Amino acid sequence: MTASTNGSARRLRVAFVGKGGSGKSAIAGTFARLLARAGHTVLAIDSDPMPGLAYSVGVTLTDLGIPEDAVVERAEGEEGPRFRLRPDLSVAEAVDAYATRGPDGVRFLQFTKVGGALTGQMRSQQAFLQIVHDLPDDRWSIVGDLPGGTRQPFYGWGRYADTYLVVVEPSAKGILSARRLARLARPGDEQGRVRVVLNKVRDGDDVDRVAARIGLPVVGVVPWDEELAEAERQGRPPVDDAPDSPAVGAVASLLATLTEGR
Amino acid sequence: MRVAVVGKGGSGKTTTSAIVARVLGRQGLSVVALDCDTNPNLGISLGVGDDETERLVAMRQALDDGEEEHAPSWDDLVARFGSDAPDGVRLAVVTRIENPDPGCPCCGLSAEQLLSSTDFGDVVVLADFEAGIGTLTRLQGASIDVLLIVVEPTPKSIEVATRALALREEKAIERVVVVANRVRSDEDLARITAAFPDVEIVAIPDDPAIIEADRAGVAPLDRSGSAPAVLALTGLAGRLLAAS
Repeated sequence: MTASTNGSARRLRVAFVGKGGSGKSAIAGTFARLLARAGHTVLAIDSDPMPGLAYSVGVTLTDLGIPEDAVVERAEGEEGPRFRLRPDLSVAEAVDAYATRGPDGVRFLQFTKVGGALTGQMRSQQAFLQIVHDLPDDRWSIVGDLPGGTRQPFYGWGRYADTYLVVVEPSAKGILSARRLARLARPGDEQGRVRVVLNKVRDGDDVDRVAARIGLPVVGVVPWDEELAEAERQGRPPVDDAPDSPAVGAVASLLATLTEGR
Repeated sequence: MRVAVVGKGGSGKTTTSAIVARVLGRQGLSVVALDCDTNPNLGISLGVGDDETERLVAMRQALDDGEEEHAPSWDDLVARFGSDAPDGVRLAVVTRIENPDPGCPCCGLSAEQLLSSTDFGDVVVLADFEAGIGTLTRLQGASIDVLLIVVEPTPKSIEVATRALALREEKAIERVVVVANRVRSDEDLARITAAFPDVEIVAIPDDPAIIEADRAGVAPLDRSGSAPAVLALTGLAGRLLAAS
């Protein structure tokens, strides 16, 4: 099937969830870069109040966030959050203007600014949420990194997603966390939009047994990879620092699986 | 002594909390390990197993459905919604539940409210916080005596730890220890000491024994009590004891 870059067949909207430290942002950042190389117009979104995805995509942490003059305070008597984008600025225009430019053409949005006053944070954060919730689906593929843990990960902050990928390390704590996430996902998930990516899989880990215990379909298996761990230690994107590593190869396979047959 | 353990998700908070709690328990102290994470896994690292860990969570959630009676006090919370872990440690889960009863010690108080409003007497409290700094931010002044910031030698982890440390004065925390975890080399340790030049630092080596215990779902202390990382965390507990 051939489709234009803007064609709906090619857009992909995924959100990564999972236990803290499972490797969500390393996989999400790599996934975003590879998706952009495959011709998608990619917006990478970090909804975690603690920045992490920026390192894995390869954008610097300073100057992230929506600038103050793009945001206005709600008028007297108006409904909704206290701050929103200027009325003359559409959500799509705001992304064009303010999402940070990263390598491979990936654009990047971060929930929290680094430093700055608290009211400035709130202006930027509420505009961020408006963008994430209202961005029309005619152009952007989205790769989102949701906060770790099991506190309301689905259907709120990740409303943009048509696929949720639960990143799971096959440890006892990882599996227990994934079972809790599976329980949270199930009521709203008749279409099987929630799937598992096993990460840091080592020799001797029994992938089938882990998958059976979690009870969600597994779409990707990423091996434990020293090269990727070293990239993380250096704060460098795995796709630049360890392009030929087994883990980056496994993310490429995951991407192929998710884009196949679309 | 009230000890809170913070850090980025996956940095090793829960493993640190569990080993320190049990080592202090072995010294004869009365220790309560509070799992304050909304994704509570402390039971696994303490060695009560995943069934018991899930049972505690389910029991807390049964409060919501009116199937469990509320605990009228802190002691009762620990007695009714807790479990006996090895070495005399008592584990209690302080998970936020959906329909809390305001002011109720077992469901209406958040971890931070519980810490600020309760007199724990001689009990040593080890509070394993949720990933990030949310709970720490909401903590009222002087609610904890010791803050353990668990940090890996990665920029992401150091970023979270830096933000936690910045709250030290506001939260009137007497003692802060940076637990430099998964250290493989001098370079790893140097990265952390450079970020926290004026803070007490305890280095924990990277250790496959911890990973193996995690895979098996058992306490590192039970599986590999003399592994390098377990010994280093045992040493950390000793330091806390010596100074308290």
